[in-house]
Amino acid sequence: MPDSSPPTAVRRRLRQGRDRLATALITAGGIGVIAALLAIGVFLVVEVLPLFWPAGSTQAVSPEALWLPGEAADDGTRYRWAPTATLMSDEAPRISLVPLAWGTLEAAAWALLMALPLALGAAAHSSLFMSRPLRNRLKPTLELMEALPGVVVGFVAGLVLAPWVERHLAEVFTFLVLLVPGLLLAGGIRSGLPPRWQQAVPLGWAGLWLMPWLVLLLVAANWLAPWLEAVGFGGDLRRWLELRLGLDIAVRNAMIVGMAMGFAVMPTVYALAEDALSGVPRSLVEGAQALGATRWQTLWRVLLPAASPGIFSAVMIGAGRAVGETMIVLMASGNTALMTLNPLDGLRSMAATIAIELPEAGPGSVHYQLLLLAALLLFVFTFLVNTLAELVRTRLRRRYQRLGGGS
Amino acid sequence: MRVATTRRLRLPRGEGAGAWLSAGSVALSLLALLALLGLLAMRGLGHFWPSPVALVVLDDGRQLAGERVREVPLAHGEGLERLYRTGNRDLDGARWDWVRVSAIDAVSHPAELVVLERRRWGEAIGRLAAVEDDAGQRIEGEAAWAALEARLAELTSLRRARDTLRKEVILPRVGVFEVEGRLDPDFASANARLRELQAAMEGGRLILDTAEGETLVVPLEQLLSARRPNAMSPLDKLTAWGSGVWRFLSEGPRAANTAGGVWPAIFGTVLMVMLMSILVMPFGVLAAIYLNEVAHQGRMTRLVRIAVRNLAGVPSIVYGVFGLGVFVYGVGGRMDEWFFDETLPSPTFGTGGLLWASLTLALLTLPVVIVATEEGLARIPDQQREGALALGATRLEMLSRVVLPMAAPAMLTGMILAVARAAGEVAPLMLVGVAKLAPQVPVDADFPFLHLERKFMHLGYHIFDAAFHGGDVQAAMPLVYATALLLVLVILVLNLTAIFLRHHLSTRHGALTRR
Amino acid sequence: MSAVLCRFLASWLLLVTLCVPQVEAQAQSQAEEIAGTLGAVGSDTMAGLMLRWGEALARRYPGIRLQLQASGSASAPPALVAGTNRLGPMSRPMKEAERRAFTERHGYPPRELAVARDALVVVVHRHNPLEGLGRRELDAVFSDSLRCGAPEGIRDWGQLELDRPEGRIRLHGRNAASGTQALFRRVALCGGLFLPAVNEHPGSAAVVAAVAEDPRAIGYAGLNHLTPGVKAVARRDDDGTLNTPDPDAVRRGDYALSRDLYLYLNLPPGESLPAPERAFIDLVLSPVGQAIVEELGFVALTEEQRRRQRRELALDVSGR
Repeated sequence: MPDSSPPTAVRRRLRQGRDRLATALITAGGIGVIAALLAIGVFLVVEVLPLFWPAGSTQAVSPEALWLPGEAADDGTRYRWAPTATLMSDEAPRISLVPLAWGTLEAAAWALLMALPLALGAAAHSSLFMSRPLRNRLKPTLELMEALPGVVVGFVAGLVLAPWVERHLAEVFTFLVLLVPGLLLAGGIRSGLPPRWQQAVPLGWAGLWLMPWLVLLLVAANWLAPWLEAVGFGGDLRRWLELRLGLDIAVRNAMIVGMAMGFAVMPTVYALAEDALSGVPRSLVEGAQALGATRWQTLWRVLLPAASPGIFSAVMIGAGRAVGETMIVLMASGNTALMTLNPLDGLRSMAATIAIELPEAGPGSVHYQLLLLAALLLFVFTFLVNTLAELVRTRLRRRYQRLGGGS
Repeated sequence: MRVATTRRLRLPRGEGAGAWLSAGSVALSLLALLALLGLLAMRGLGHFWPSPVALVVLDDGRQLAGERVREVPLAHGEGLERLYRTGNRDLDGARWDWVRVSAIDAVSHPAELVVLERRRWGEAIGRLAAVEDDAGQRIEGEAAWAALEARLAELTSLRRARDTLRKEVILPRVGVFEVEGRLDPDFASANARLRELQAAMEGGRLILDTAEGETLVVPLEQLLSARRPNAMSPLDKLTAWGSGVWRFLSEGPRAANTAGGVWPAIFGTVLMVMLMSILVMPFGVLAAIYLNEVAHQGRMTRLVRIAVRNLAGVPSIVYGVFGLGVFVYGVGGRMDEWFFDETLPSPTFGTGGLLWASLTLALLTLPVVIVATEEGLARIPDQQREGALALGATRLEMLSRVVLPMAAPAMLTGMILAVARAAGEVAPLMLVGVAKLAPQVPVDADFPFLHLERKFMHLGYHIFDAAFHGGDVQAAMPLVYATALLLVLVILVLNLTAIFLRHHLSTRHGALTRR
Repeated sequence: MSAVLCRFLASWLLLVTLCVPQVEAQAQSQAEEIAGTLGAVGSDTMAGLMLRWGEALARRYPGIRLQLQASGSASAPPALVAGTNRLGPMSRPMKEAERRAFTERHGYPPRELAVARDALVVVVHRHNPLEGLGRRELDAVFSDSLRCGAPEGIRDWGQLELDRPEGRIRLHGRNAASGTQALFRRVALCGGLFLPAVNEHPGSAAVVAAVAEDPRAIGYAGLNHLTPGVKAVARRDDDGTLNTPDPDAVRRGDYALSRDLYLYLNLPPGESLPAPERAFIDLVLSPVGQAIVEELGFVALTEEQRRRQRRELALDVSGR
């Protein structure tokens, strides 16, 4: 425009300049922050490299020492993690990462074994049967459970639960055995009740009113256990396990770690699985029910196949979390670098080893680099698992959009 | 989208076994959560309630007095064994006693049993025989208790006066002395005054007959508190409980973290989390704005976004390793070489400290903030942006006047989630600067007031330390429970705030989704 | 064990109650005004000890304050070399390299001061009848490299000819990279390897707590962590005499699994320490300071050692 006065033009140029500057700053800052985040992987790789290709005269660590069996000891443990041991001149270093990797995966496996039935069952129940108000409350409650710090869960597991379970091993096993029949019995009793009473204990609220029933089961297990122990196991289950099956029993063992970490992982898996299930287009569910399927049949035939990638990704993310959890394993596992399948034996995970040994390892030493290698392995593993889960989830979301159409 | 309709049809067939088993897993999870919280609440809060002191007579004639702690079964079904907290460690070398339940002849709770908390040797339990002053005057019987209480009150106020004097008059002058090499003339008089106070506290003894039949002489000056739990009314106990909770929250730890309070740990946790939020918020928001508003939305950005999301799933210990290697040894070591050359090789920033811990946790929570902020940004309809631009706003103006105010609640949620995650994280802190005992809190009256290089105490690490490192795990257990409860409460409050905010947010912006 | 400990503690208590008023009176009559900050960097085992000494010193001289950084023994030598502070508490003697670094920088060696003793004790559950373990047996229980010369490993309580705890021995110990584990490995395992089945705890207190819970457990821990829940096992010499880890034996040096706790000083020869440091050492080597050592569960110095060190530092010896 001809009459646009010079001050306006200057002001506009100023504004545009400021805008360009701000955009540049935001770009630089954003890229910088993201680069800093991604630098974690780069840093670990750079620090670990000298382990295999040392710069100076120090000897490289061969991958064989880390992953292949060493000399057998008298009890057959061929993989040893003893990085601080003083060695005779003829001895190979005992720096096998195998027991640590084994312990990490074993702990994660037990955690998932505990968490998956709970989380997937809860997800199925809350998406199919649970009443709306309860479900709206359940989600934040389980989110709170997820936020419980690992150090608190680990403390309770290691110092309270572990000695208790050790003393009440028979009771715990009896409870596990009673659990499934007990729950079915509750269902049976309810369907035998007159309809008016049935309304007092609706299926939608079963998650709540089954809690006292479970306490009752616990009491029953407590009462039955001595009798079962006397009849089946010669009066002492622990001795029976040890003598007959040759199982070592440690107070802090893989089962305790599994219980504690299962407790910690369960809410994560639940939230993701529930999202996947409730994301299945409603038209599919309604179609199945219109054809006369029960809700349970709907779950198996329709919901699960449709949501399976989402559930898979929930499980993967749960596994990633279980592999990296530090404080729970550190406090509840006993940190014995054993390699057994026995759930009543101890284990030792990579994360816990890093947490206790790294502060004492001098920077640049082989021990330090080995621990960094363990950190790198954890990083790569969790990163890959999470990426896989994320890709699967993205694909699932697209599939729902296609299936769901107008819903 | 909801699968289960709100009004359910009664279906002709039963739901089968699956329905009950899946309901059972909900119930089992909730039960486990309840049991954990209940345990923490009961043991954590119960510790401050004055428990009765039992006088136990054993079948061999031995007597002991103590608080009953717990019972465990003996091996081979030989009955039970009971643990008593008997105190008097200076007499028998131990403050606990294990007693076979079958060996107990009688248990009574005489009202005259006294529990003393002392500055040295922990607590003492017994019957108050007499209070003596230096002149040899001896007060016995019920009058002794009254005299003791009076003297205790006096001691407490003297002690407070002494501590204030030292903190406010003497130590600042020492600081001046160290810088200028000249001692303030007031120093000597303050010192003299303090010695007077100390002298006023000296003198007097308390004579305690223990249940074992020995006599314990305690200088009154060493007493911290005295109570007769068996003679207390519920109201007295409630008062004692309240003051116990207050002391737990406001005092520092004593006796190698097995007694006392957690104030420095609360302070350290809060300060570290505050620093972390100050560090993480601008960077997280910046990165989110870049990803969502500035960057070209192509394949690369999508990959970066996935990578950032995944970093939230990387174990915290890996961030700790990164913090140790890069911040502490890398940046910190370099800073020492440049700025603190005169103190090398003693590290200033080249060792774990408050700054590095906050930075590490900021990095750890960065993905949380980025993801939350991005969600908030994505929820703002494009029409808002387009409208602003159409009215002639530049991108900066559009962002700062329109987009950011609308995304503010999301950022707040992100921050609270980050804080909740950071407050409970312990593993990375063990590598980058938490200390089991940091007598100097990182904030004080010395220049520059906030000491970023100092180590600090942390509630989560305090739990770990007291339960595994401390002098006596049994003695530390009640405090560990209380600390765990405190930490859980802090995190629950933070999370509830986040949930509330998010709920509020989704009801406000729910209708305005982008698609 | 506990009986010996009792008698011992009681005797110390008596000594302390006799000495306390006297010592404090003297300190106050001297009443020179000492002010300043004591900087100490070093061992975390000794953190509690240093703090208590600092507290006691502040009661005598309100103008002295202690700034303690307890991040491990390894942090003491660099701080001393740098000269930022003159006190370095360490739970092990300085290594040759650390000593050399100090001498190179300052031209004289660091002054070593033993301030207390600590011992490692092998512990079992309180109901365990085990009385003593020989050198070879101990190695055979904890290790599979058998460097002390045992013919075979001991994995079962039955192999120790005990009938009471049955079954496997459950092992507990400290984490790798701790000084405690290193000492135990050097002395008790003759430098061999620990079995992988040893539960590694992050602290001595956790070892004691775990052993107290389990009748079949055995472990090792610092003497100052003993509780009535566990029983200390004596070391059997080759001639069969039992060597109990009571404080007297530890103090005489008869018990092999013991170590000194040190305070390293930066003290040029022929000079005397600055007043605050001098007051601190004076307190540490006084009966009051050594009573604090006992109270925290460590073992105090012998009277002879205490007096000798006082004499060497030209501290007042008379009457103390």
